[in-house]
This record gives sequence, C-alpha cells and structure tokens, in this order.
Amino acid sequence: MEVSFMSYILLAIILFSMGIIGVISRKNIFIVYMSLELMLNSINLMLVTLSKHFGNMDGQIMAMMVIAIAAAEAAIFLSLIVALYKLKHSINIDDYNTLKQKGTL
Amino acid sequence: MIDTIFLILASFALFGAGCMIMLSNTVHSALGFIVTILALAGLYALLDASFLFMVQIIVYAGAIIALLLFVIMFLNIQQSHAPKEPSKYLFMVVSAIIMMPVDYLLFKAFYTITDIKNFSVTPKDFGDVKMLGGELFRNWLLPFEAISLLLLVALIGAVVMARKKERA
Repeated sequence: MEVSFMSYILLAIILFSMGIIGVISRKNIFIVYMSLELMLNSINLMLVTLSKHFGNMDGQIMAMMVIAIAAAEAAIFLSLIVALYKLKHSINIDDYNTLKQKGTL
Repeated sequence: MIDTIFLILASFALFGAGCMIMLSNTVHSALGFIVTILALAGLYALLDASFLFMVQIIVYAGAIIALLLFVIMFLNIQQSHAPKEPSKYLFMVVSAIIMMPVDYLLFKAFYTITDIKNFSVTPKDFGDVKMLGGELFRNWLLPFEAISLLLLVALIGAVVMARKKERA
C-alpha cells in the first residue's frame, strides 16, 4: 500500500502547529527563531506534497523560493539578535521592551 | 517499503521538533532542529524532489543552522543565561488546545478539496535539476531575479545591522 497524500499533509499540519506552540510558549529568542523556521519548513513540505500530488513543478519552485527567503531572513534575524544582545545583554524576549509604553500592563 | 521509510522519517521529524520546543538548553534545541531538517530532506527525496533534497541539506543544515550555532556560541550563551520559564508546559498545553480547531479545519479542507487520495503518476525525471531549472528559467524568471535582489538587500542589511556603532 502506498503512503497516501493525506499522511504527508497531516505531518505538515502537526509540524506547523508545533512551530506556533514554540513561538507562543518559549521566551528564549533563539528557540522562537527556530520555531519560525519550523513553520516555514512545514509549509515547504506541504508545497512539495501538493506538487507531487498534482504532477506539477510549481510547488517545488515555490518551495525553493521559500528556502531562499528563509536564508535572507536568517541573516537579518541573527544580526538583529547580535545587535539586541549587545544592547540588553539578554536573550529573554521579555527584556526587549524598549517600545512598550511604560505604566500599561 | 515506502511506508516504513515514511513512518521512520516522520517520527524523526516529530521527535526533533518536540526536542526543539521543549529542551531548555539552546544548543540542544538547535541539534533537535537539525534532526527535523534532515528528516524533512528525506521526505523530499521520497516525494521525488531530488534537487530540493540537496538544497535542503546544503542551505538549511549547512548554512542556516551552522550560522545559528555560530551566533549561539559567539554570544557565549550559558545555561545560566537562558531565561527562566517556569510555566512553559502550561503555555504549551494552552496553545496546543488553541491550535487544535485550526488543525482540524486545515485537515478537513485538504480532505474535501482533493477527491483523488493517491499521488498522480509522475514522469521519471520529475523534480531533478534539468526539469526544475527549465521551469525556473521559463516561467519563473522574474521571481528568480527578485529573489536575487532580496538576497543582496539582506546581505547589506545584515552587515549594517551587526557592525559596531561609532560613537559621535
């Protein structure tokens, strides 16, 4: 029996929600970043699965574009983390509150 | 055979993702993420995307994760620097409960829009360099050039953002 299309989609959906769970529940900025990457990867898996399902190359091309954008995002995000760490000496996202209005919440 | 490989790779991917969002040591989570990335590369190979399999290993495992580990070690993040997260499991359970209806909706949507549940039969060279390159340079030329511009902008932006500030 061939593994069906829905099992790949189910795996991609579970990985995506694990990414969202990581973004919501963790305070370590690196783990938040890795959860974002996990979401991008699960979308890639979904695109490649649909590409195979419909016998069309467009999904794979889009997945490659997503990988290129993820590379650009990695460079920017990590340099931002380095700049923030120089400023705050912390990787806790609760410490990055310069733009927050004081006295509320 | 394909079934077994899929099950092994899928469990590796889920295991790596679980390690990544649960472990408190940053380097350990990054190693868990590498497991997920490599398992997803194997799944791409199962789905006939042989070029994306290589790109995933080279760009993700080779460049992005290496850069991430480099930054973690460059900033010298110790276990004692990591933020205290006393209620992270509570937040995980709550966010999993929040995500469940969305997951159900997505699954149901995919289940109903596709009436054929099996994969279509693809040609033998589906997903290899020649076919992907032909498609890329015939129909996707403008997005390809836009991506190259985006990468240039990201390169300049990363250098500008991470350099040392001059004091006036």
